[in-house]
Amino acid sequence: MQAIELDHVRRIFRTSIGTLRRHTKEVVALDDVSLDVAAGELFGLIGPNGAGKTTTVKILTTLLIPTDGRATVLGHDVVADTRFVRRNVGFLFGGERGLYFRVSGRANLEYFAELYALPPRGIAKRVDELLALVGLSDRGAERVEGYSRGMKQRLHLARTLLHDPPVLFLDEPTIGLDPIGARDLRETIERLRERGKTIVLTTHYMFEADALCGRIAVISGGRIVAGGTPAELKRHVRDLSVVELELFGAPDDLTSRLRAIDGVDSVVVERRELRQVFRVQTADGERAVPRLLGVVGQVDVGRVSVREATLEDAYVRLVGRVE
Amino acid sequence: MTHALRVLRTGALLEARNVITSNFMLFCVFVQPFFIGVTVMFMLRHRPDFDPVYVVVGTALSGIWSAVLFEGNWIIGGERRVGTLELLVASPTPLLLAIGGRLAGSMGFSVSSVALAYVIVAWLFGAPIRLADAPGFALSTLLAVFALWCTGMLLAPLGVLARTISRFVVILEYPVYALSGFLFPILLLPGWTNPISLALPPFWAAQAMHMTSSGEAWALPLAAVWAILLGTGLTALLISVPLFSAVLRRARVAGTLSLT
Ligand SMILES: Nc1ncnc2c1ncn2[C@@H]1O[C@H](COP(=O)(O)OP(=O)(O)OP(=O)(O)O)[C@@H](O)[C@H]1O
Ligand SMILES: [Mg+2]
Repeated sequence: MQAIELDHVRRIFRTSIGTLRRHTKEVVALDDVSLDVAAGELFGLIGPNGAGKTTTVKILTTLLIPTDGRATVLGHDVVADTRFVRRNVGFLFGGERGLYFRVSGRANLEYFAELYALPPRGIAKRVDELLALVGLSDRGAERVEGYSRGMKQRLHLARTLLHDPPVLFLDEPTIGLDPIGARDLRETIERLRERGKTIVLTTHYMFEADALCGRIAVISGGRIVAGGTPAELKRHVRDLSVVELELFGAPDDLTSRLRAIDGVDSVVVERRELRQVFRVQTADGERAVPRLLGVVGQVDVGRVSVREATLEDAYVRLVGRVE
Repeated sequence: MTHALRVLRTGALLEARNVITSNFMLFCVFVQPFFIGVTVMFMLRHRPDFDPVYVVVGTALSGIWSAVLFEGNWIIGGERRVGTLELLVASPTPLLLAIGGRLAGSMGFSVSSVALAYVIVAWLFGAPIRLADAPGFALSTLLAVFALWCTGMLLAPLGVLARTISRFVVILEYPVYALSGFLFPILLLPGWTNPISLALPPFWAAQAMHMTSSGEAWALPLAAVWAILLGTGLTALLISVPLFSAVLRRARVAGTLSLT
């Protein structure tokens, strides 16, 4: 038995648009998604905004009913057996919402401890442990409205772990954390995996997915477009290396001109104020550099570097989204 | 069972701490009853049949009713806005208990309307307050609070299922004062409204509290009034159970548990 199974799951949202002449529009959030996660596995779900990651997590945490197909957690159907599933999963949706602001962090945790039916005698101790785990021991008595964004996020993690569930869903858990906080959280996730938890992690940080996950599914437009270990995914770009060109004041049409060059596989641009970084995937490696610079023309060139393709490059190729 | 009670208690304590800092609840429980109490005192105090304890009870009930009506109607939407609704739903405890505890907290707080009403009538106007049947009044108050809590539990899922109606729930505030005879006997109302009154738990709450505080006999004996008060409350609670399920089912199908 797999810890988590999705079997041909579809999920359609109906939303109404227009204020006066209303009509409904259908959004296919998940389109025939099947996947398995083994017990004790740390599984990554990556994909662009609106791909369906959160929808998947919400179906598995009983918050959404699939339009079609079947999903199970530890062998129990998420629609028919909500009680079992709810007892055995913990989930974290990244962000600051979902806390009672006017009471203390400790009061928040104590309330959820009751909702998860923790043994009454153990609650105070468990809350202490978790506040310590997320580094909020000395702030637990303060009202949540005075917490910083990262502190709220860490309080959410404590809430997620209260009942020590065997299955965890972490939806963008490191969003908004400072670099050290994010590293600490990654270590915590790693330790949870070592303790045998089954974890589904969604993230937009590819290095995070690469470092933590045993297997990853890439989801785009509600479909799984690729899957495997990070190494297997990187094999999609094995033949490619990446040339990074730092330019100052590149014209808008440069992307398409670079793409037109022979041997160029894909181009992505990261635009900062005055500086643009072009990431060019090509099979030719450094041999492509003169050709690329030839197209760049009169623009100021900063750093130029050639490196091996990373998971992020594989992701860009798989998702095929170019800006 | 003990788990259910613990959830209710913890939820109530959390909510009580929450509402103390809510201006709107302070308005419902203190400001508005204050004006109602003072106005009624000015209107009635020189009449020959004036009974100050009637005003205390009526004023207090108006405060408790406002709290029940608004909190009941808004509570689920409020959780959704804060982002906690999903967390409550995904916990193994039924949503009804979580919401029930929170509602009990704000109601417990709203009972302080009684103290406010007493202060207005006894101290501000110096009217003598005597309870005809103190233990009976205590029990009536307890039953009244329970039945009004049940009414709030019925309003909570209705506030979501009938969203259009719930936007106009404000207009229910005063008619129920009148229909329930908080401050004036329903005999003053046109006869066709009487059946509506008889179906409302707040009406029986007002009857029980007025009977034991003013000591006036009524068409039914006190025990019967208590039984009906409890009965109407439990009926409201029973109706609310499938409505809560309907709310959850609908929200999980439509994807409306969260704003994101
Ligand atoms: N409650 C809802 N009502 C209507 N449409 C929804 C709802 N929830 C999600 N959707 C739609 O379903 C699609 C998938 O959304 P989802 O939140 O699963 O994406 P995601 O992969 O988590 O994206 P992100 O990286 O931005 O968090 C989107 O098109 C979204 O607009
Ligand atoms: Mg998401």
